[in-house]
Amino acid sequence: MRPRSPVVVLALAAALVLALAAGCASKNGNRSAARQPPAATVASRVILSGNIPRVRAADFRGPTALYRRHVRAKLKVMLRDVARLRSAAAAGDLAGARRAWLAADERYEEIGAAYGAFGALDAAINGRAAGLPGGARSRRFTGLHRVELALWGRSSTRDAAAPAARLTRDVARLRTHVGRIAIDPLEYALRAHEVLEDTLHLQLSGQASPWSGAALTALRGNLRGTQVVLDSLRPLLVRRNPAVVVRADRALAQLSRALSSTQQRGALPRWDAVSQRGRERLAGLTAAAAERLAYVPDIVDPRPARPVQRAFGDQEAR
Amino acid sequence: MRRRQFLTGGAALGAGVALDRLAGRPDAGGEAGAAGAAPGSDPAAALQRRFAFDGPHQAGVLTERQAHAIVVAFDAITSSPAELAEGVRELSVRGRALSAGYEALLGAPGDGPTPDSGVVGPTVTPDGLTVTIGVGASLFDGRYGLAGRRPAALKPMPVFGDDALVAAETHGDLLLQLCGDTEDGLIHALRDLMRSTRGVLAARWKVDGFLPPASRGSGAGRNLLGFKDGTANPDTGDAGLMDRLVWDGAGGTYAVVRTIRNRVEFWDRVARSEQELMIGRLKDTGAPLGRRKELDDPDYAGDPKGDRIPLDAHMRLARPRTAATEGERILRRGYNYSRGIDEAGQLDMGLLFVAFNRDPARQFEVVQGRLAGEPLIDYVVPTGGGYFYLPPGARDAQDWVGSGLFT
Repeated sequence: MRPRSPVVVLALAAALVLALAAGCASKNGNRSAARQPPAATVASRVILSGNIPRVRAADFRGPTALYRRHVRAKLKVMLRDVARLRSAAAAGDLAGARRAWLAADERYEEIGAAYGAFGALDAAINGRAAGLPGGARSRRFTGLHRVELALWGRSSTRDAAAPAARLTRDVARLRTHVGRIAIDPLEYALRAHEVLEDTLHLQLSGQASPWSGAALTALRGNLRGTQVVLDSLRPLLVRRNPAVVVRADRALAQLSRALSSTQQRGALPRWDAVSQRGRERLAGLTAAAAERLAYVPDIVDPRPARPVQRAFGDQEAR
Repeated sequence: MRRRQFLTGGAALGAGVALDRLAGRPDAGGEAGAAGAAPGSDPAAALQRRFAFDGPHQAGVLTERQAHAIVVAFDAITSSPAELAEGVRELSVRGRALSAGYEALLGAPGDGPTPDSGVVGPTVTPDGLTVTIGVGASLFDGRYGLAGRRPAALKPMPVFGDDALVAAETHGDLLLQLCGDTEDGLIHALRDLMRSTRGVLAARWKVDGFLPPASRGSGAGRNLLGFKDGTANPDTGDAGLMDRLVWDGAGGTYAVVRTIRNRVEFWDRVARSEQELMIGRLKDTGAPLGRRKELDDPDYAGDPKGDRIPLDAHMRLARPRTAATEGERILRRGYNYSRGIDEAGQLDMGLLFVAFNRDPARQFEVVQGRLAGEPLIDYVVPTGGGYFYLPPGARDAQDWVGSGLFT
């Protein structure tokens, strides 16, 4: 996720302008009303959801506060993981350093839903070599995956020392900043499925952790992060569309069970060590969960409603 | 991901216009933007070709090949037999709708993700689509309690001597063969079908196929070796013949799918006469060697030593035209495919071989056995595919393909 400047006020203003423009446009559109979908269906949909007050940006205060606490708690643990990573690397303990790295990486993936708010610090902690000039050789390649390159790609604790020290500083800095970070409500609601979209795109494609193959621990972290977001929005969602919540819960539980059953002697295997069928199953259930969670954002969309006609439009001339 | 970025600043108007274009609003992109066709000359009529989804047999078997195909194999990923049956049923529900065409729901505010991808716009035309559903032997292992339901002649595709199968591109629990008149129509159908079975089926491998346009000339189309291919196919209009060669007693059939890469650069460096002796036909007209027209009888009886058409020519081995071998014939319905290059920079293209028969062991495999070691094998490399059973068609809109296997 790239950083995004949360300009809610501007956004709402823009939406209002759009809505007004749409209102004007729809007057012209009325003459083709005969070809519109049955008006009753359209209207009843809106009235149904209109019976319950629309979610306002202020309604997100509780959920995002809860989420911020989650982030702080995770960063606290991650800081300890990173400290272990550093001392193991200093002692030349490759196995210990790898264990600590896996723990730290999973912790960071649990935070998931807030990356966009972390700005440059996210890139410093979790940036990938892709997109940097020179790739993994770039001096701007820092953080978890730079350490991963050292520990797995080069099997070297010495090479890990400097990036691990830098990682410690960046995680510490993030932790002090995190209390002041603004979380955009719209952005936050989108994370309900976007965390798992990232899992599919970056982790299960093997891109994010090419050297350690740590896609499944990341998936486990992402799953927990998604769960926190969903749980925090649950009160807002349940009274507006309980079915969506039930389906999302079921899909997440299914994925969680499949992930647990993938463990071998208590640990998740490398992604590239999982059989084709195993990969299909985990990726497929991740996609299925994302599909269910994708219905969350619209339910809690804090922007003013746009006129219905805009979304339907005229049928293409036939 | 910044897909709602249009809310901030100057991007707003541009995105608004784009959305309106997608929804086909004439007043958003200018009055001229969505001008309709003149009455009486409807250019969209070509998209209205329609094949019935329901019937005693599935469509897409005897159906004359449409211009485009997508063949995808899936693996079942659900842990629930009921969910699996529901997913397979959904393939028929959606396949039937997609083959008939409908007004697409592009979504309404507050309703979440757009129900239809919108790839073909708000009106989904039939586009000559056929959706053909098959099941692989692996579906009948212990996972779903289907072990006793395996169709009699269904087994995993064996490895033949000249094969170079890639595991990730071979076999599968389920097969979808989408054929149609338009490429975007097929992609629309594929995305719809996959979306509605998410969590139940995961794609295992996929190959896109195409045909030469009919306007290239009469007779069978050419494969990527530059030869006419399919001339000797059994006549699909002969119902009795189809019952003997293709359909089993229930109205189903067995599909043999093989991705057969052609080493086209190597082939292009082979003299024409050598090519013709390997195939058994003339390169230009497609006539059997020593004959004048494509459909002429090769007259093997008059050439017992292979002086005219070598005994190991592909065509002669595949179909010797003896009384004993005519019952082994298969109905070929393949497509050409093309997909990228390999590490040596060689083109990855060839034949997406699809054939239907009553019993692969008594038909396809016998033919395949005769072809083992043929001279042509240096130029073709089978890399994937599988055996699948295509159940009989759905009786009506309440029925679904495969219902007999699950209930």
